[in-house]
Amino acid sequence: MVLRIRLARFGKKHAPFYNIVVAHARTARNSRPLEVLGTYDPIPKPPPPGTNARPWKDIKLDVSRARYWVGVGAQPSDTAWRLLSMVGILEPRFRVGQIQGKVVKAETAAKSLIPEEAEVAQ
Amino acid sequence: MPPRLRASHLSASVSYISVRPQSIAQPARTARDFSQSSCRLVTQRRRKFYEWLNGPGRPLKQPIPGSTNYLGAYDKYGNLVRAGSVPEKTSDKDKEAEAKAKAKAKAGITEGQQTADEATAEGQESLEKLDEALRQQAKEEQAEKKKKTDEQQLSPETMEDLRPFPLNKFFRSQPVLSEELREAIYQFVVKEGKPVPLASITFGVSNERIGAVVRLKQMEKQWIAQGKTLAMPYSKAVLEMLPTTPYIDTSLPKNAGKRPIVHEPINDLIVHPATRQQLFVPVAESRQFTRVDAGKAFDNNLLPADERIPHPELVKVVRDEVTGYSKEERRALAEQRYLEAMEKKKKAEEAKKREELETKRTVPQRRWDFVFRDVSVEHAGRNGRDPRGVGWRYGLPHQDRKKGQVKIPTKVEA
Repeated sequence: MVLRIRLARFGKKHAPFYNIVVAHARTARNSRPLEVLGTYDPIPKPPPPGTNARPWKDIKLDVSRARYWVGVGAQPSDTAWRLLSMVGILEPRFRVGQIQGKVVKAETAAKSLIPEEAEVAQ
Repeated sequence: MPPRLRASHLSASVSYISVRPQSIAQPARTARDFSQSSCRLVTQRRRKFYEWLNGPGRPLKQPIPGSTNYLGAYDKYGNLVRAGSVPEKTSDKDKEAEAKAKAKAKAGITEGQQTADEATAEGQESLEKLDEALRQQAKEEQAEKKKKTDEQQLSPETMEDLRPFPLNKFFRSQPVLSEELREAIYQFVVKEGKPVPLASITFGVSNERIGAVVRLKQMEKQWIAQGKTLAMPYSKAVLEMLPTTPYIDTSLPKNAGKRPIVHEPINDLIVHPATRQQLFVPVAESRQFTRVDAGKAFDNNLLPADERIPHPELVKVVRDEVTGYSKEERRALAEQRYLEAMEKKKKAEEAKKREELETKRTVPQRRWDFVFRDVSVEHAGRNGRDPRGVGWRYGLPHQDRKKGQVKIPTKVEA
């Protein structure tokens, strides 16, 4: 039977929370899986007050175990693929790589601008 | 068409109506529907209340500057007891002088302090008495100063004057932190970066109160920076009418050798729920049964009382004193212990940071960062129910509706 790496929705109404699980493809969404690889909290957390940091999403993942399951033929769902590709387990699809590159470029550009402003201020 | 009404007719009819009784006469009511007490009694009480307001209660309307405004300080005729049964009216200038004298007195304490330092070892109980004595001294000094300036000035409040509720003889109004003391605590903790326990020992204020003061001061400063208006007149008025703990700046030359007034007992043992039961533990006579064992008798995970108190380091200082170390040696030992503790704390923090760096991985995306934390599936254990395991549990009901679940946030990020 096909193994899938997929998300199982827990949490409450309007407060979703997902377990990242390895399960047989034909089992119910929230049935007991073979293994819980981690969690995905899709609600973005605000940055710490008083900083310029960006909001963030909290993901817990056993990377080595996920790599093992992919290695033995588990098929990630689209969302799981997106998440796993972020940590480099899979080839990026769904524009993950493009966006990441853009954000990094924008950030470095912003950082290179800041010292100039500081000099002007002085 | 009907004939028009003449003015004379109209006026006549109006006067007729005004003469006629408007309502049916009712017998005088004895009580109102919602009340058990009779109307007469209610009226009597209301009259008495207004009598009191205009008679004995009148001086309470205008609080005496620099003094509390409690019912307990007045007798039943409305005379200030400590003023020698003669109510006095001070002019504005007198009031200013009095306020100044009070401020001066608050800034310092008499030389009787030297004896106080010698008696510190006797413990918290004696300390409290000492501070009471110190406060009294401050007040006496204040009284002396006042006598010098003006013979007719008020004497400071005694314990009897600090009773807001005359029928409850045992309730005494407790002092609050003065504005200067709060500012000093904030400067000590935030500007000088000293740890909270040290601030607690230095100012004689409990750890929790130090935390609250720092947080509130921080908010106050933030609000001022944002240009928000603060309720300063309100806080000023309230603080003027409450007993306050003054701040004694020991760095000033005139306060050399003095000690800040202790606001409250800082080393009280918090009652742990596990110790609320009475226990009878049979112990062999030959066995040494210490406080550590007593803690374990209540609960295996319960620390001994010596470590559960807010300031265990103070016990060690007293132990050193009993052992017979000199003052310098004690100081050196205490400093060494403090440095060791700080080193340990720093190392733990660094280790935590390092571990986080190793396991955390941030992937910037278009709108937010995806923060990946590496975990281990092994932590969930064989049955998947180990509390260290990650993820929503299977086959376990959610406990969030259970009694005793704390849902209010226990910390604030600032």
